[in-house]
Amino acid sequence: MSRIGVFVCHCGINIASTVDVEQVVEELGQHPEVVYATDYKYMCSNPGQQLVKDAIAEHDLDGVIVAACSPLMHEKTFRRTASAAGLNPYRCEMANIREQCSWVHQHEPAYATEKAGEIIRTVVERVSRDEELQPFRLPLTKRALVIGGGIAGMQAALDIANADFPVVLVEREPHLGGKMAQFSGTYLNFTAAPDLLERKVQQVLDHPNIQVLMGAKVTGVEGYVGNFEVEVTGRGVDEEGVDEELSVGAIVVATGWDPYPLGRLSEYGGGQILDVVDGLTFEGMLRDGDGIRRLSDGRVPREVVFVQCAGSRDPERGVPYCSKVCCMYVAKQAMMFKERVPNGQAYVFYIDIRSAGKGYDEYVQRAMENHDILYLRGKVSKVFQDGDKVLVWGADTLSSRPVEVAADLVVLATPMTPSRQAVDLAQTLRVGVDQNGFFSEAHPKLRPVESLTAGVFLAGAAQGPKDIPETVSQASGAAAKVLQLFSQDEMIQEPTVACVIEHFCSACGACVEACPYGARSIHPVWHVATVNAALCQNCGACVVACPNKASQICNWTPTQILAMADVMS
Amino acid sequence: MNYRALVIGAGIGGMQAALDIADSGFEVVLVEQSPSIGGHMAQLSETFPTLDCSQCILTPRTVEVGQHPNIRLLTLSEVVSVEGELGNFRVRIRRHPRYVIEEKCTACGDCAKVCPVVVPNEFDRGLAARRAIYIPHPQAVPAVYRLDPDACLGLFPLACGKCGEACERQAINYDMAPEIVEVDVGAIVVATGYELYQDEAVMAYAYMDHPDVMDGLEFERLLSASGPTSGELIRPSDGKVPREVVFIQCAGSRNPEHGLPYCSKICCMYTAKHAILYKHRVPDGQVYVFYIDVRAGGKGYEEFVTRAMEEDDTVYIRGRVSKVFSRDGKVVVWGVDTLTERKVEIAADMVVVAAAIVPSAGNRMLAGVLGVDVDEFGFYTAPDAEMTPVESGVPGVYLAGACLGPQDIPETVAQASGAAAKVLVFLEAQKAKERRKERAKQGVGSRE
Repeated sequence: MSRIGVFVCHCGINIASTVDVEQVVEELGQHPEVVYATDYKYMCSNPGQQLVKDAIAEHDLDGVIVAACSPLMHEKTFRRTASAAGLNPYRCEMANIREQCSWVHQHEPAYATEKAGEIIRTVVERVSRDEELQPFRLPLTKRALVIGGGIAGMQAALDIANADFPVVLVEREPHLGGKMAQFSGTYLNFTAAPDLLERKVQQVLDHPNIQVLMGAKVTGVEGYVGNFEVEVTGRGVDEEGVDEELSVGAIVVATGWDPYPLGRLSEYGGGQILDVVDGLTFEGMLRDGDGIRRLSDGRVPREVVFVQCAGSRDPERGVPYCSKVCCMYVAKQAMMFKERVPNGQAYVFYIDIRSAGKGYDEYVQRAMENHDILYLRGKVSKVFQDGDKVLVWGADTLSSRPVEVAADLVVLATPMTPSRQAVDLAQTLRVGVDQNGFFSEAHPKLRPVESLTAGVFLAGAAQGPKDIPETVSQASGAAAKVLQLFSQDEMIQEPTVACVIEHFCSACGACVEACPYGARSIHPVWHVATVNAALCQNCGACVVACPNKASQICNWTPTQILAMADVMS
Repeated sequence: MNYRALVIGAGIGGMQAALDIADSGFEVVLVEQSPSIGGHMAQLSETFPTLDCSQCILTPRTVEVGQHPNIRLLTLSEVVSVEGELGNFRVRIRRHPRYVIEEKCTACGDCAKVCPVVVPNEFDRGLAARRAIYIPHPQAVPAVYRLDPDACLGLFPLACGKCGEACERQAINYDMAPEIVEVDVGAIVVATGYELYQDEAVMAYAYMDHPDVMDGLEFERLLSASGPTSGELIRPSDGKVPREVVFIQCAGSRNPEHGLPYCSKICCMYTAKHAILYKHRVPDGQVYVFYIDVRAGGKGYEEFVTRAMEEDDTVYIRGRVSKVFSRDGKVVVWGVDTLTERKVEIAADMVVVAAAIVPSAGNRMLAGVLGVDVDEFGFYTAPDAEMTPVESGVPGVYLAGACLGPQDIPETVAQASGAAAKVLVFLEAQKAKERRKERAKQGVGSRE
């Protein structure tokens, strides 16, 4: 017989105004396994927690049930409270009578009271069968791997290295700098990109804590948070070959983006007309002081048409998303063109001008007003060669008139797409990607730099289109997560993971197939299924897959669940 | 050398920075001027583009901050002076009296029941009332009441004293005085957030004149299941369900002549969200949105706006609104559709203005205390906004969130972690230096 204490929380009026808490306490007090039951205004308040602690000592409790809100809110709080009073924290459980009871049955108090009692009775069955679990302690390799040597990867690597932890930076190209190395300038500083970048590259190369592997790729990843084994191979910078096996504790994915293939934009003349180029090619022309020349005949173009959303925001093409950076870089490129070719004319076709960022709207206003750049709101319908001109047909939706521009050069703001290596890498890392191929963050609002795989973090355009300032902030954010992980001496892992009742296991491997985290395997010698507790995320897929109920979740066993179901009316 | 950090502002940005630093084993002093933490995110109903319930994803964070052994939370507090330099700042913080002893209060609410004073509740943007002694909202952290000295019938001398008599635990102390707390910290994160603009450019849309013209945060409260109407969408004027709602974007933003020249960045997305949520509650209602450009740059954002337009039949009208006025119980909106070049008149039941984002009122003063630069609007500025966006010009003072300029939640959270990284880099590097010194000392010792 257990000695369980039940603590019913009023949550102010959140629970008590619907559920008759006193009746629930009285009812539970008569349960044979419950030796103490009480209620309180706010159990999570300091006096409330003290009440729990005192009762554990006074009534020699061996189990605690806090009937209150969702375990997401306060399970940690009350397990800490129980632990402080000398109780094994895994024999303290929450009974959710707020989200799953009082809130959804506001208009039926009698039923809510009955249901609250029933919810708590089921948890009594669970707690009386809870094991006294102990957390796992796992070693932690305090070295980070950063994949991608663009501005995002370099920033993350520098932050981690500056905090005195070793970093390995892997870059597929034989040089650092990523896409930014192809830029002429940033939004605000037209010619600064090469200098700004060169400084960063030097800092990375000179840093005693950073090992740089260029011309190399991550080709294999085994292990789990704190203990990854990574294989990096490649041709190296001068065909010297790279073949390294590394142990790292955390991984930052900063693989950036690649431009959409120009050849797939044939309606805009992409890949067919020499003087139709993409934004990145035009950046290259701007980098060279004398470089704005037509690829066809080397002449300096006078009339330049910029086409925004050339492929983006186009669900039919498979690019439903906005590429976010084009509105700003087109304004920059148009202004730079006007500086280099003062008697030239720039036209910009756009759908919406998305200059949302500090000083960005004012920036585009300057482009329109001070640089006489002609903005036309509308889509381009056709681009074709006409003699040595490129004719652009479009519509101005503000004047409702068709527009024709005889251009010397057309610049397409093509979509930002995920790096070509992203899909392979995602599989190697066992990290999810979204429907567009960008790496998925753990939560779109509150966990933007974490992946759903513990120990793998995201930085920069690998996660979705973003500009340099946003990338730099986010890369530092990813570094913060790595530093947080490395601040521990060892990793503490929750013990509420899958386990195997070995004499029920036939080593059929159903659990291995079912596990999305690679946490399950068949032991080669003992021939039973095993669980890698560090990889297990407690999802229960193996429990469902196992035909013999050999796979179970600790403290959520089938015995517990059936016992809970039995007491439900 | 001080291995402690100060975080100013406990909205989603400040909380994230505080948690990142505290979870790395360093102490954090978290200063918040209002009685509870969570900032504006606590007021939101749902969040775009997933329509997650804001409180449901936020409250586990506020609870974590409130319970964290490494975080010392000072509410109703403001930073009054900062001296020293990176590694050794001495910070003076003024704690305004709560008149309720935090350790004793159980948030039972007996005090508010007897309080005779009724004033508008700031948390509900004035759409509901509170007492002079109150808790901002049921999920507030810390979960303790506060006596508002401006609303109270009188403290010096005590005019009423009913709440003190009602409090069983004797948690109310009318003699509490402001207190100066001094803390030494090694680095500082500033995350003081934003407010909504309430100037002529917003007033021009009859905001303040008509109860059914409201700003975005008021509409959030009206949508919220924990709001003044429990999520029932009704007009403040007569309690009727609005059948036609007009949303006016760029109310004060992108308006150099009469308002502010900059774009407030988040309005396009939250307006699309408002349109979708309105249609969830009033399926046969009609939404109109006046816009200049639809700015949906972000993961899943474009698709979200498309959903508002196509699935929820929201009518997007490209053009500015010229006038809003009452007529026969309706709120009439005059504007121009610049695509069809026609005048538009909509007799709406409710109008929601997406008022511009402006910095918190205290920004400029705090900037002076910290020696940090502000721009002409009062937002903090980073000297190199492109390459080191979270670093202020003052070594050891880092910036995060909407106090730098309008930005949405994911960007704020990522940036707050970025600011936390700068603090952690400094503190970890100092720790490593000391470890090496210690080792060198021992090394010398053993050779002897």
